[in-house]
Amino acid sequence: MSPVDPDLLSIEDLSVVIRRPGREVAALSGVSLRVGRGEVVGLVGESGGGKSMVARSIVGLLPGGSHATGAVRFEGDDVLRMDAGALRRHRGHGAAICFQNPRGALSPTRTVGRQLTDRLTTHRRLTEAEARQAAEEQFAAVGIRSPRRRLGAYPHELSGGMAQRVMISLATGCAPGLLIADEPTTGLDVTLTKEILRQFRHAADADGRGVLLISHDLASVAGVCDRVVVLYAGTVVESGPAARVLGRPAHPYTRALLRSVPDVDGRAVVATPGAMPLLTAAPRECPFAPRCAHATAECTADRPSSRPVPGAADDWTLACFHPRTDELAVSEPAETPERVTAAAETVLEVDDAHVVYRSRFGKGGHAALRGVSLRVAAGETLGVVGESGCGKSTLAKLLLGLVPPARGDVKVAGARMSDLRGRELRQLRTRVQMVFQDPIGSLSPRRTVADAIGEPLRALGLPAAQRAERVEAVVDRLELDRSMLTRHPHELSGGQAQRVCIARALAGEPDVLVFDEPTSALDVTVQAQILEVIAGVVRDPTRGSVFISHDLATVRGFADRVIVLYLGRIVEEGPVEEVFGNPRHPYTRALLASAPSLGAGFAGPKVTLTDDLDDTEADATGCPLAARCPFADDRCRAEEQELRSYGAARAACRRVPEIPDLLKGSDIRV
Amino acid sequence: MAETVVVGTARPGRFATVLIVTGSVILAVVALAAILAPLLTGWGPTEIDPLGTLVPPGPGHPLGTDANGMDVWSRLLHAGRLDLGIAVAGVAVAVVAGTALGLVAGYLGGWVDDVLMRVVDVFQAFPTFILALAVAALVGNGTGNLIAVIAAVNAPAYARLVRAEVRTVRESAFVAAAVTSGASTFGVVWRHVLPNSLTPVRVIAPLNAGWAMLTLAGLSFLGLGVTVPAAEWGAMISLGSPDVVAGRWWTSVPPGLVLLICVLGFSLLGEGLQERAEAKRR
Ligand SMILES: Nc1ncnc2c1ncn2[C@@H]1O[C@H](COP(=O)(O)OP(=O)(O)OP(=O)(O)O)[C@@H](O)[C@H]1O
Ligand code: SF4
Ligand code: SF4
Ligand SMILES: [Mg+2]
Repeated sequence: MSPVDPDLLSIEDLSVVIRRPGREVAALSGVSLRVGRGEVVGLVGESGGGKSMVARSIVGLLPGGSHATGAVRFEGDDVLRMDAGALRRHRGHGAAICFQNPRGALSPTRTVGRQLTDRLTTHRRLTEAEARQAAEEQFAAVGIRSPRRRLGAYPHELSGGMAQRVMISLATGCAPGLLIADEPTTGLDVTLTKEILRQFRHAADADGRGVLLISHDLASVAGVCDRVVVLYAGTVVESGPAARVLGRPAHPYTRALLRSVPDVDGRAVVATPGAMPLLTAAPRECPFAPRCAHATAECTADRPSSRPVPGAADDWTLACFHPRTDELAVSEPAETPERVTAAAETVLEVDDAHVVYRSRFGKGGHAALRGVSLRVAAGETLGVVGESGCGKSTLAKLLLGLVPPARGDVKVAGARMSDLRGRELRQLRTRVQMVFQDPIGSLSPRRTVADAIGEPLRALGLPAAQRAERVEAVVDRLELDRSMLTRHPHELSGGQAQRVCIARALAGEPDVLVFDEPTSALDVTVQAQILEVIAGVVRDPTRGSVFISHDLATVRGFADRVIVLYLGRIVEEGPVEEVFGNPRHPYTRALLASAPSLGAGFAGPKVTLTDDLDDTEADATGCPLAARCPFADDRCRAEEQELRSYGAARAACRRVPEIPDLLKGSDIRV
Repeated sequence: MAETVVVGTARPGRFATVLIVTGSVILAVVALAAILAPLLTGWGPTEIDPLGTLVPPGPGHPLGTDANGMDVWSRLLHAGRLDLGIAVAGVAVAVVAGTALGLVAGYLGGWVDDVLMRVVDVFQAFPTFILALAVAALVGNGTGNLIAVIAAVNAPAYARLVRAEVRTVRESAFVAAAVTSGASTFGVVWRHVLPNSLTPVRVIAPLNAGWAMLTLAGLSFLGLGVTVPAAEWGAMISLGSPDVVAGRWWTSVPPGLVLLICVLGFSLLGEGLQERAEAKRR
């Protein structure tokens, strides 16, 4: 690593109050932080904590109505007080932002190559030909395969990961001193997340840039950052070396954050009740006090200032009167839920299901599921994992009857979905309920909460009075305030909305609950709260659950059994401890190896897949993983793979017995 | 002491409110004048003053009389009933019919969608006014028929607008959630798709009412609108336009102005609603 130059970015006592008619928000209150050259600094904390506001202040893009005090010094110049010309130069060469949603930030009607060369010709004054050359090099540098071809692509033709790479190349294209990434990996799966974060580390190490990495994903940040700054309610509560702050945090909020995240090592998640306050003025007390287990009278009488931790060598600072010095107890694994007895009745059965999305024009189509069979017993939770695009959500839609199987069948509580029509089908549908990824989006904007929760009851033909009764009962069960019933979705927080969605799913007492990434759109501490609610719900012995997630850690905490999907096929299945503790299939191993972890992570030898997921491989004969698998040989490419039993698990790979030896052999860590 | 840096605020919300209030006030004044017409004038709208035709504005007739000896002020007031009434009713029918078509086409898709949209295409292939002329010539005049004409020429646009909106709403998670809750197709469309597909309609309808008034006036101007002695601004302009050359402005300029003001009122209202919808989206 190149030596750190402390003078790249230095934010000093920055406060931002946004004044709008009838609304006042203290977005930042006395924030100080630094980013040096060649340094990657993580900015973490919950939504609304002020992370994006810090990013905006660095590029001089504070929202209208902002009143800012303090200074944002970039190479000595105060960004807050720059004139328009200086600001333009600063945004091109000084600091550049990669936005959270790359597709939204890319112009849909121009090729990505055009967008990059435009920037290069205006900011770096290159000629058209030079810019094309430079653009191609940029694309190659961020790991885009066949860069020349991709220059001609439109944003919608790129996968999520590819679009994010394009965003990074746009941001780094003009060689800025500081790269700001606002949630660059949200919505990407584990393998891509890892790859994208590596790009940022590379920008710091190879080019000596400073990088400010904004994220709520602590485990990912832990792996690449030098230092970490934790924001809460617009204040810096803790900052210091990443290993210190995320390994042995002293501030109660940092500790709460860390305990909220599930980890692949299977440790217990502890939820912190309450939510972050929305401040209208700079706080006069510790903003975390209402949720803090260690709060004393002192904490509400005065606001703790940021001070160096006594005795700590590095620049580890803390804003707390009562720092915790004990070890964060994270190592004990969660209590394993009771195993379901084999005798439990089957509530959901899928038999060799194929789903094909037909293309509207021409013939053919895209096969999203290719022969999936599974069964879920009452009281059992089945986990479904896999990279994005592997067919997880298609499976959910199939279970709910939202897409018809091209072949095969779905049986709910013994009844075949394809045998039913009209009213009977609708009644059967209420037996399977789903909790969606985006809680607010899955509630009708113009209908009240009571309406939404009562929807399944309406289909059951219950009269209004009984509906209201059942709705209140389920709302109480989920500890939602009854005053919520008359609200509309936009008046709910993400966590409240997801509780409402769970209430709706439960209202009709279904046989099967399907959770499709139920927490990935939520904040870390809210995630932990919702996971607690879900844990209570799936324990019900009369109901089976399917829990879908690309986050292996979350699945590990819940599921009794897991299936691993790859390109529409099950490549491994078995009891959760078996699959996570002793993965048989190379793909499962690779997934586990790339899962970010704050603890030891996956213990076994690691397998890394070559290249990104590319679904053109799906149609090739032989093992679908052959193009990416480090163990692939000619027989793999020629032979279809079927699930075979290995101990308690089943895997679709002919080389399973040899893999332990292959791994021992030489360094297969490609 | 560090000084405070203030970033200027734009207030899209405030501007929208000004537009909406101004437009509404204009329309309310015209509508009220039309409703209260008998209280504001002693003359009936088709009552002929035996003492004179083309009397200039003066004590007996605040805006004079026209070539038939009818009081212009009275006709101006009473005409608002027909003009506003037909335009608003016509657009209302167009909204209901167009929305229903758009909902069906957008939600069901497939061949239903194809057939309905081809019909819409045919209607939209003609300029609105030409189409209105053709339909009016076909069905003949009379209040009910004029409402039908306005509805027929405008409904296709609503059908297209609503269909496009429905196509996106149909894919949203909350519709999937309703379907999986066992709701019937009608229930899904009525309770979830429809209420969430109407935003563009709310914005377009007022603007559309303004154009409808012009269409109606145009038809009457060409003699295809209301039956003659009835008070209607387009007909008044048509009847009075030859007088302008002779310096008798009072028979045709006032109805023209009032028509303009009404269209302006509808435009302001529509623009304001659009502005507000956009401010919300931001
Ligand atoms: N344009 C705006 N107008 C008014 N208030 C705003 C605006 N943008 C953000 N805020 C408020 O400022 C505070 C900080 O918001 P910010 O977006 O920086 O949080 P964040 O930590 O980045 O959250 P997230 O993880 O959701 O992106 C919040 O209270 C938010 O409501
Ligand atoms: S200052 Fe007090 S309330 Fe705040 S985090 Fe520390 S112990 Fe908790
Ligand atoms: S069958 Fe061959 S290519 Fe497929 S996962 Fe096993 S070793 Fe790899
Ligand atoms: Mg943010």
